[in-house]
Amino acid sequence: MFSYLLRRILFFVPIVAGVMLLTFALFFMVQSPKAMAHRVLGPKATPKAVELWLHNRGYDKPLLINRIPEQPWYDSLFISQMRRLATFDLGSSDVTGRPLAEVFRQGALPSLLLTVPAFLAGLVMSVGLALYLVFIRNAAADFIASLLCVALMSVPVMVYVIFGQYLVAQVFNYFPAFGFQLNGWSTAKFLLLPIALMIVSGLGADVRLFRALFLEELGQDYIRTARAKGVSSAVVLMGHVFKNGLINLITLVVASLPFLIMGSLLLENFFGIPGLGNVLFTAIQLPDFAVVQASVFLGSLLYLGGLLLTDVCYAWADPRIRLH
Amino acid sequence: MSIFKIIRRSALLAAVFLCLTLGAGCSNNPYPPPLQENGADGSPWKVRYGALPEDPRSLDPQVCYDSVGKRVIEPVQECLLEYHPFKTDPYELQGCLLEALPERITGEGGKTSFRCTLKQGILFHDDPCFPDGKGREVVAADVQFAFQRIADPKVECPALSTLQDYVQGLSEAFEAARKSGQFDYSRAISGLQVTGKYTFEIHLTQVYPQLLYWLAMPFTAPVAREAVEYYDGKVHDGIARDLFRFHPVGTGPFRISEWKRNTRIRFVRNPNYRTTTFPTGGWDPARESELAPLAGRALPLVDEVCMTIFRESIPIFLLFRQGYLDAMGVGKDAFSSLITPSRDLSEKYKERGVALHRDTEPSTYYMSLNMQDPVLGPNRKLRQALSAAFNTPTYLDIFYNGVPIVAQQLLPPGIAGHKKDFRNPYGYNLEKAKALLAEAGYPNGRDASGKVLELTLDTSGGSADERLGAEFEQRQFEQLGLRVKVVENPFARLMEKLDQGSFQIAAGSGWGADYPDPENFLFLYYSKNIPPAGKNASRYNSPEYDALFDQMATMENGLKREELVSRMNALLAEDVPHILLMHRSLFSLSQPWAPRIQSNPMLEGGLKYAVLDPRNREELQNQWNRKPLWPIWLLLFIFAAASVAGIRAYRSN
Amino acid sequence: MTTSSQDWLNQSFLPIWLPNLAVLLGALLVALLVWQGNRSERWAVAWRRLRGDRLGQVAGAIAALFLVVGALETVVYPTDTGSRTVLQLLLSGIPQEKGYSAPLATHALSVSDPKPLLKRHILGTDALGRDTLVQTLRATRSALWIGGLTSLVYIPLGVLLGILAAYYRGWVDDVVQYLYSTIAAVPEILMLVAILMVLGKGLGTMAIALGITGWVGMARLIRGEALRQMERPYVAAAKALGQSDWRILTRHLLPNVMHLIVIKFVLGFSGLVLAEAVLSYLGVGAPVGTPSWGAIIDASRSELSRDPLVWWNLAAASAALFLLVLSLNILGDALRRAFDPKSNS
Repeated sequence: MFSYLLRRILFFVPIVAGVMLLTFALFFMVQSPKAMAHRVLGPKATPKAVELWLHNRGYDKPLLINRIPEQPWYDSLFISQMRRLATFDLGSSDVTGRPLAEVFRQGALPSLLLTVPAFLAGLVMSVGLALYLVFIRNAAADFIASLLCVALMSVPVMVYVIFGQYLVAQVFNYFPAFGFQLNGWSTAKFLLLPIALMIVSGLGADVRLFRALFLEELGQDYIRTARAKGVSSAVVLMGHVFKNGLINLITLVVASLPFLIMGSLLLENFFGIPGLGNVLFTAIQLPDFAVVQASVFLGSLLYLGGLLLTDVCYAWADPRIRLH
Repeated sequence: MSIFKIIRRSALLAAVFLCLTLGAGCSNNPYPPPLQENGADGSPWKVRYGALPEDPRSLDPQVCYDSVGKRVIEPVQECLLEYHPFKTDPYELQGCLLEALPERITGEGGKTSFRCTLKQGILFHDDPCFPDGKGREVVAADVQFAFQRIADPKVECPALSTLQDYVQGLSEAFEAARKSGQFDYSRAISGLQVTGKYTFEIHLTQVYPQLLYWLAMPFTAPVAREAVEYYDGKVHDGIARDLFRFHPVGTGPFRISEWKRNTRIRFVRNPNYRTTTFPTGGWDPARESELAPLAGRALPLVDEVCMTIFRESIPIFLLFRQGYLDAMGVGKDAFSSLITPSRDLSEKYKERGVALHRDTEPSTYYMSLNMQDPVLGPNRKLRQALSAAFNTPTYLDIFYNGVPIVAQQLLPPGIAGHKKDFRNPYGYNLEKAKALLAEAGYPNGRDASGKVLELTLDTSGGSADERLGAEFEQRQFEQLGLRVKVVENPFARLMEKLDQGSFQIAAGSGWGADYPDPENFLFLYYSKNIPPAGKNASRYNSPEYDALFDQMATMENGLKREELVSRMNALLAEDVPHILLMHRSLFSLSQPWAPRIQSNPMLEGGLKYAVLDPRNREELQNQWNRKPLWPIWLLLFIFAAASVAGIRAYRSN
Repeated sequence: MTTSSQDWLNQSFLPIWLPNLAVLLGALLVALLVWQGNRSERWAVAWRRLRGDRLGQVAGAIAALFLVVGALETVVYPTDTGSRTVLQLLLSGIPQEKGYSAPLATHALSVSDPKPLLKRHILGTDALGRDTLVQTLRATRSALWIGGLTSLVYIPLGVLLGILAAYYRGWVDDVVQYLYSTIAAVPEILMLVAILMVLGKGLGTMAIALGITGWVGMARLIRGEALRQMERPYVAAAKALGQSDWRILTRHLLPNVMHLIVIKFVLGFSGLVLAEAVLSYLGVGAPVGTPSWGAIIDASRSELSRDPLVWWNLAAASAALFLLVLSLNILGDALRRAFDPKSNS
C-alpha cells in the first residue's frame, strides 16, 4: 500500500511538469507577453511603457530555451519560473504585484463556506431523491421526475441566480442581496441564498446520475437473489442497493472534493463573495500569467490529490481491491 | 435507519434551519457596522456607500492611471493643484497643496519655468511609517522625491513618456537608471529645483502650458520617502508589511481604514485634514440656496466612506432600490425601468425622492480606419462612404439607450475649440454613401472587374453586447453591397493590432481627456505619434495638420488658437481617418438623503464635497425593506405536502 | 431576414458545396449505421426492443425533427446576394424590425417611441429586431454541429486510445494514461478558452476544443470496458487461433464496446449542447453572425433585468434546448434499456 502510494506520487511529477508546459504553451500561443502588457497598462499606454513593463517582469527573456550566446541556456522564462514553482514559491501577480500565496489563502475560506455546505446538502438531497425514485419504481413518477430533472438542467445557472436574487433578496427582503462579511453565525445570512441556488442548479444532473447508479445496482444478480428469498424491498434498498452503490458514490464524491476550494465563478460574482471562483477566469481575461500559472499549478495538484484519495477510498470501501 | 426516520429528521432539521436563518436574517443590510456611533461632537456619524467595479490595481500616486484607481486614490492623495468643483465651462484650476497657481517665468532663450509655493502646515496622514506614528509636514523635498520616482524605471510611471519631453532631466535620470539597474535617489532631477523649505521651481525644456494640468494629477503629488521605504512588502519583526502600492500615505481628507480584497474599501476622515474648505462661490446661480449654506465649511462633510466591489452590475441596482447605495450610474440593464421614453425619471422613483443627473464625459469614441492600408489608405472617397454609411443615431439608441451625444468632431464639448454647430460632412446618409462608394470606384460594392469588395473589421470580442455590436457594425457597411469579415479579438490582441497597423477597420477606439485641452485630443493624429512612438493608430500623416499642430500645441487658449483648431478639425473631417461615434454620456441617480453636490467630470467623485442626511436614510430604508411572511407559510405547506405524499406512496408500495 | 453574410463554421473561404456534401455524408452515415446494426444479433434485439418503447420512439422522432431543421439551415445554395440556407429561404417572408417587440405585439418595445411593426411575430423579436422564432430555429444548426462535430473528434480519439491501451497494456497504457491525466489536470476553462483563442472563434474550432478536452472521459470508459472484455474467453480463443491484432481489435473488441459508445454519444451530445451555453457566457461561444442558443441565453442576462421584462428570447432558446436535451436523454435511456442484456421484459 505504502509503496503503491509512493509510486503514484512519483508518477505525478511528470504529469505536473506536462501540465505546466501545456499551460505555458497555451497561454503564450494566445497572448504574446506584449499583448499582455497592453491589456494591463490600458489603451493609453505608449509602446515605450509596454517595453519597460515587460523588462521589469522578465517577459523579455526567451520563452523556452535561451539561445542568446554568452547567456546560460536555462535563463529562459519557462525554466526560471518552473524552478521557482518547484519550491512552492507562487510569486506575485503581474498586474497588482500582490503575493499570490496571500491571494489564495484569503480566498479559500469564503469559497469553502459556499461550496462545502452546498455540496453536502446537495448530495444528501439528490441521493435521497434518487433512492426515493428507485424505491417507488413507478413509471409515471419516473417520467415526471426525469422531465423535471432535465428541466432543472437546461435552465442556465445564470437564470437561477438572477431570479433567485431578485425574489428572495428584493421582494421578500429576507437576506442581503449582495455582500459578504466573516462574522460568526451571521455570515450565514450572506450565504444561504447562494448555497440554495447552487443546490437547485446542480440537483437535476445529480439526481439523474445517482438514480442511474442505483438502478444499475438493482439489476445485479445478488439483488435478485435477495428478492427471490423474500427480503422486503425497503431492506433491499437500504441494506443492499444503497450500501453497495455507496462505493461508487464515494469515489465520485471524493474525486470532486478538492475542487470545492475553487469556488463558483457565477455565484461569487453575483453575490460578492470574495472567493477563488473568479481568480483563474479573471486572470485569463486580464491576462495575468503569474496568476494563471499559479492557479493551474495548485489546481493540478488538487486534481491529482483527488485521484489518490479515490484510490485509497476504493481500497477502504471494498476489501477485494488491493492496491499494488 | 428507516426511511421514515430520515424524513422525520430532515423535516426537523429543515425547521430548525429555517428558524435559525430567519433569526440571523433579521436585517438585509449588507454592510458591517460603521466605525463609530457618533462623531466627536456628538453628531451622528455619517457614512456614504458607493460602488466599485473591481479592486484598484495600484494606489501608488506615481503609477495609478486607471479609472478605478483614480477614484480610490483621490480622497487619500491630494495633488499640487485641483479642479474647481463648480467651474466647468471653462475648467478652472486652483491651488490645493500649492498656495496658488504657479507663477510662470520666462528665462533666457525662451525657456520657461514655473515657481511654486506649498501651503505650510499640511501634514501627512498619521501612519506607523513616521516616528511616533504622527504624520509630518509636507515640504518641497517630497515633490522632488515624487519627480525622482516618475523617472525611476522600477516604478513604471505612465506619465514618464510624456513628461520626459518637457521636464528637464527626467529622461537623463531614467536612462542612467536603466543602464546601472538602480535609480540614484541622491541625485535630484535637474528640472525640479528646490529653492526653500516650501518653494520649488519646475524647469521645462520647451514651452508647455499643459504642465499645470499634470500638476493636478497624482503623478506629481508629493510622497513621503519614509512611507515608500517602510512599506516594502517584507516581514519585519514578525509583522508583514504591505506594499506601498497598496498603502498610500497622503494628505487627503480621508485615509483607508480597511481594504478587503474583492469585497470593499473603507475610508475614514483624516483628523489632521485642514487643506481646503468648501468653495464660497463659482456655482450656477440657480443652486445658490442649496450651496450657499455649505460655503466655507470645513471639508470633508461626511465621516466615513464605504466602497463595495461589484463584479456584476445587476446587484448594484438591487441594492440601490433597497436604499443601501447612495448613488448609482444607470446602466443598460436598469435603464428602461428607471428612465421614461421622454428621458425623464420614472414616476415610481420620483416619488421616492430620487434625483436624475446626466453627465457627458470629455471623451470621444470612434472606429479607426488604417491610413496605411493599401485599399483604405489611398482611397479617401471610400473612407468617406464608410463613414456616411454608419447609422450612428440608431447605434447609440440600441446600445446606449440613445443617451450619448452623436460625435460630429474629434473634440468633445467643454474642450476649447469644440464647435457646437459643426456637422460632420460624412455623418449618416446612406444615399450619399452609395454615391461616394461609386465615385471611389466600387459601385454597389463591386470593383471594375465585378468582384465584391471585402473589408475586415477588427473588434474586441467576447460579451453578448460586443457580439451584438459587431453584428450591427457589419450590417451598416454591408448595406453598401460590400462584404465585411468580422474578426473578434481579445482586447489585448486588438491593442497589438492597432500598434502594428495590421487592421483595416478597428472598432472600439476612444480617448478620454487626461486634461481639458484640445492638444490632448488632436495629438492623436500627429504624424510623430504614429506607433511605436505614440497613439496615432490610424497612421494619419498630413504635413499640413502637423504644421498646424506644432503651432497650436503650446499656445494659450484664445481666438487664434480656436482658428487653428478649427482648421485641423476640417482636415480630419475631410480625410476621415476615423468613423466618429459618440461623446459618452451617462445618467446617474442619487438618493434623497445624499443630494449630489458637484459633477465636474475632471474630478474622480469629489468625495470631500459629498453630503449626507443619515436620519432620513434610516427612515426610508426601513420603509423600503418590509418582509412579507406568506412565502414562509407557502414553503412550509409545500414541504408538508411533499412529505405526506411520500409517506403515502411508501405505504401503498 | 438579415443580409449578413452566411458564414459556414466561420470560414468564409470554404466552397459552398461543402456543407451540402457534409449533410449528404451525414445522412449516409446514419443509413449505414442502421443497416450495419441490423445485421448484428445484439443490435437486432435492441432494435426490436426499441420498437416496443413508445416513449423512446417519441423522443427519437423529436431528435430527428431537430436534425431536419439543422440540416435545412446547413444546406446552402447560391443567390446573387450571396449564398443562403434553405431554412433562410423558407422563412424569408418574415421581416426584420428595428428593435425589441413582445410576442404577437403590434408595436415595438421602444424607449423613445413605440413604432408600429411590419408584421406580428409569434415569439417577438430580439434587440436588433430579428424574429425570435427564426433565430431559435436557425440556432439549431449550431447546437447540432457542435454536438456532431465534437463527437466526430472525441469518439474516435477516445475509443482508439482507450482500446489500444487496454489491448497492449505496458508502455502504451502508460502513455495513454499519462496523456489523459495531464489533460484532465489542466483546468477545463483554461483549455477551452486558450484553444478557442488560438484557433479563432467558430463552430469547427469549438468542436475541436471540446473534443480535445472531451476524449479523456471516453478513453477511460472504453479502456475500463475493454480490459473487462479482455478477460473473456473469446479474446483468448481468438489469440489462440492466431488471428491478427487488428482483426481481434475490430472484429471482437470493438463490437463489444459499441453499445457503450452509442449511449455515451447520445448522452454526451446533450452535454455538449449545454456546454455551448457556458462557453457563450465566457465569451468564446459561436462567432458573430452564427445564431446559437448559448448566445441568445447569454444576451438575455441583461434582458432579464429590464422593465418591462424581455423574457421571450430566453424562453424560446431555453425551451428549444430543453426539448432537445430531454429527447436525447430519454432516447439515451431507451437505448441503454434496449442494449442491456439483463432486461428481458
